[in-house]
Amino acid sequence: MKKPIVFTSEREMPPMAVSLADMGHNRTGSWRYLRPVYREKIAPCKNACPVGNDIPRILSLVSEGRYEDAWRLFRETSPLPGVCGRVCYHPCESFCNRKNFDEALSIASLERFVADACFDLEDRIPERPKRSEKIAIVGSGPAGLTCAYFLAKDGYAVTVFEAASQPGGMLRLGIPPYRLPREVLDREIELIARWGVEFRTNTKIGQDISIEKLWEQHDAVFIATGAHRGRALNIPGEELAIQGLEFLKAVNVGKTIALGKQVLIIGGGNTAMDCARTALRLGAQPVVVYRRTRDEMPAIAEEIEEAEHEGVQFEFLAAPVALRRLNGKLEVQCIRMQLGEPDASGRRRPVPIPGSDFIMRADAVLKAVGEEPELSFLSEHVETSEGIVIERAHGILERAGIFIGGDAQTGPSTVAQAMRSGKETAQAIKSFLRGERKPKPKKLEEALRVNFSYFVHQPRVPMPHMPVAERITNFSETKRAISSERARAEAQRCFSCGVCNSCDNCWVFCPDAAITRIDGTYEVNYDFCKGCGVCAEECPRNVISLVEEEL
Amino acid sequence: MKNFTLPSEELMGSGHLGCQGCGGALAMRYALKAAGDNTIVVIPACCWTIIAGPFPYTSLKVPVLHTAFETAAVAASGVRAALDIQGNTETTVLAWAGDGGTFDIGLQSLSGAAERNENIIYICYDNEAYMNTGIQRSGATPYLAWTTTTPEKTPKAEPKKDIMAIMIAHRIPYAATATIAHPDDFIRKVQKAKSIYGTKFLHVLAPCPPGWKAPSEWAVKLSRLAVQTRVFPLYEVEDGERYILNEPKEDRALPVSEYLKLQGRFSHLTEKDIQAIQDLIDKRWQRLMRQVRESS
Ligand SMILES: Cc1cc2nc3c(=O)[nH]c(=O)nc-3n(C[C@H](O)[C@H](O)[C@H](O)COP(=O)(O)OP(=O)(O)OC[C@H]3O[C@@H](n4cnc5c(N)ncnc54)[C@H](O)[C@@H]3O)c2cc1C
Ligand code: SF4
Ligand code: SF4
Repeated sequence: MKKPIVFTSEREMPPMAVSLADMGHNRTGSWRYLRPVYREKIAPCKNACPVGNDIPRILSLVSEGRYEDAWRLFRETSPLPGVCGRVCYHPCESFCNRKNFDEALSIASLERFVADACFDLEDRIPERPKRSEKIAIVGSGPAGLTCAYFLAKDGYAVTVFEAASQPGGMLRLGIPPYRLPREVLDREIELIARWGVEFRTNTKIGQDISIEKLWEQHDAVFIATGAHRGRALNIPGEELAIQGLEFLKAVNVGKTIALGKQVLIIGGGNTAMDCARTALRLGAQPVVVYRRTRDEMPAIAEEIEEAEHEGVQFEFLAAPVALRRLNGKLEVQCIRMQLGEPDASGRRRPVPIPGSDFIMRADAVLKAVGEEPELSFLSEHVETSEGIVIERAHGILERAGIFIGGDAQTGPSTVAQAMRSGKETAQAIKSFLRGERKPKPKKLEEALRVNFSYFVHQPRVPMPHMPVAERITNFSETKRAISSERARAEAQRCFSCGVCNSCDNCWVFCPDAAITRIDGTYEVNYDFCKGCGVCAEECPRNVISLVEEEL
Repeated sequence: MKNFTLPSEELMGSGHLGCQGCGGALAMRYALKAAGDNTIVVIPACCWTIIAGPFPYTSLKVPVLHTAFETAAVAASGVRAALDIQGNTETTVLAWAGDGGTFDIGLQSLSGAAERNENIIYICYDNEAYMNTGIQRSGATPYLAWTTTTPEKTPKAEPKKDIMAIMIAHRIPYAATATIAHPDDFIRKVQKAKSIYGTKFLHVLAPCPPGWKAPSEWAVKLSRLAVQTRVFPLYEVEDGERYILNEPKEDRALPVSEYLKLQGRFSHLTEKDIQAIQDLIDKRWQRLMRQVRESS
């Protein structure tokens, strides 16, 4: 520590006013009432990602062309990057800070790019202690697969029971291959199996093995059986219509289905969109009949656009009231609707217009008006309401070591939500087996203050699509991969919110030269920092926080 | 990914007496990084007289000559002459004065040095008032700004003196504007000045958070906004005639209100006042654009 100079007599002073020392003795840090601290924050994209993918770090690796490292980072939070990069509805993008500047990052297509680029890579499986506890997972959809992956990584013996002949859940049975090629799904399931997960397919719990038996033989059971029971239309002649999901399942497992030319699809959700686009590929001219308008359709916008683009027709504000067979054709009696007051979901309620009935003819009618969980094999153990397990019973089951998650618990949701549920259940099972309480999720501060001054506008990389004419004749993937150059350019658009990327701004703008650079990191010298806050303001990515000094 | 390529050498030490967020301190830090350690700084009465530290201390790692208020340019000329007599043409002589010592009190000695084309770099760090004596108006205080001598009821009635035009009229080899929000541009200009023989003049906008009644963390932001709103465009003029525009490059500027509304010294302005300021800025910008066009 430098000391101030004290002259005790005139003789000690220099002959003229000349400086003898620097100002190092003057600890200006005592002026400070706000202290800048480097405190990384969670990027809003990462916070919005149900599986918690570390998007800013991953994108920074992609921008440097370090695809393998990016892939390994994905696999720390998710066993299904190739799947998510294609079918996840990317809530991450809706929360991306860049959307307030120009356009959100194309995170999902980069996720797909990384997974494709690393298709042949294997996880590095370390030697780890085998645990004696056995865990049964019922259902091999995204919830079951994710839970299995995280438990197996920790050395638990995991068996997945699946009623269908192959694992994957809706990823295989519901989502058509033109959106999710099966090689991708197969590969990611194979990598999960490498961790020691055993798959028992063609085994239906409640039929081939009872739930009680399963429970006896295992230390914990996770029920992730999804929501597969199609809802009814409740109209006369209903039996003449085919369940949309059953149709998709049949096509997806390779059965030949003859629908005929004119196909009506009742419903406006994602299942309806996939039914229509699948029917189109089988040579039909599908028409989607929906009782409200396009704006109220529950299907996500991108799916609707794709369907329209491929030539699917829509009949809005129409609802079927009866089905009949007439001269080998189906006759669908419909009624015209109009929009009334908003209902509980906030969408305007469709109201029939009296006397507006009209007839639509078809070779086949597919009903896709929603699915619900089918939990009859559990009926003695849970209370359900409209097919959904109610919370009270859920808690009781958990204490006994039976966990329910994914669509089976919530009703139809999304792949990423099911994965989140699988991951959280893996954690809950571990806590249960160790007799601990479930850890409380930590609330992290989001990085929302981006200093746009340091970025230049650059449009989002467009996703290349196969031409429609080539698409609708087959089931190959409609979206094409982006090139390596484009992937890097897109990843470079990422602000890296909340994550220091050694841009130097704090060091550059300190008026007190109180910040030092040490191998790409920074240190504030609190002996001299006056707490002006310029560093925090000029940090482009909200890494520096100003906290009040304690007195 | 670096946003700037600042020389790492640190010739301004910590512990100086600049206020929190002092734009003048940051300006000095950049200027010395660019000028290098073979530099003698001449400082007349100004904030930096205080900031550098009291006798017997200094916060600069290069020699400093403190001089009287009106003498920055002439004292620097003397230092230059003494070095030249010793055969030392390598050392840079940097006169470092505030707006008071440049626009007002030191103007005649600066004009004299420029007329003689003395081989010095003169940097005016402009915080737009006599700040360390208590925020009194100077010739650099902007139109309608509050200072302690131009209170809110009668804010400054005269527009800011156009010091660049005065210096350019001397046909000196190099004159340029710079701010602390654009360190690379600032440093390039000092280095360019170093490479040219004769009188080089840099006009640097250096926000003063207490004097401008703005939070200290906005020092850099205010400088950036001054450029984006064309209040303080960044440009260079070679030999009194070749105009080069650096920033802002955009065809459309932010309205001046974006800059004014962040500063308490402008909080009394009415819509009409703001429009009057905007008109002044637009007029000056058009003149600058004409000058840039005519010289290209
Ligand atoms: C047509 C369609 C398209 C979709 N597209 C998308 C999309 O693009 N993006 C998106 O995010 N979400 C999409 N979803 C929703 C998404 O697929 C589901 O939310 C998700 O798959 C639910 O995962 P899960 O693991 O809970 O259940 P599921 O994926 O449904 O898996 C449950 C598994 O359990 C098995 N099973 C059921 N009962 C038993 C039993 N008794 N014994 C043994 N096994 C049993 C089933 O055979 C199935 O394999 C779509 C859904 C459908 C129907
Ligand atoms: S899982 Fe979905 S939300 Fe998460 S990063 Fe992937 S695309 Fe985004
Ligand atoms: S800019 Fe990057 S880190 Fe920030 S929210 Fe968007 S994707 Fe996430």
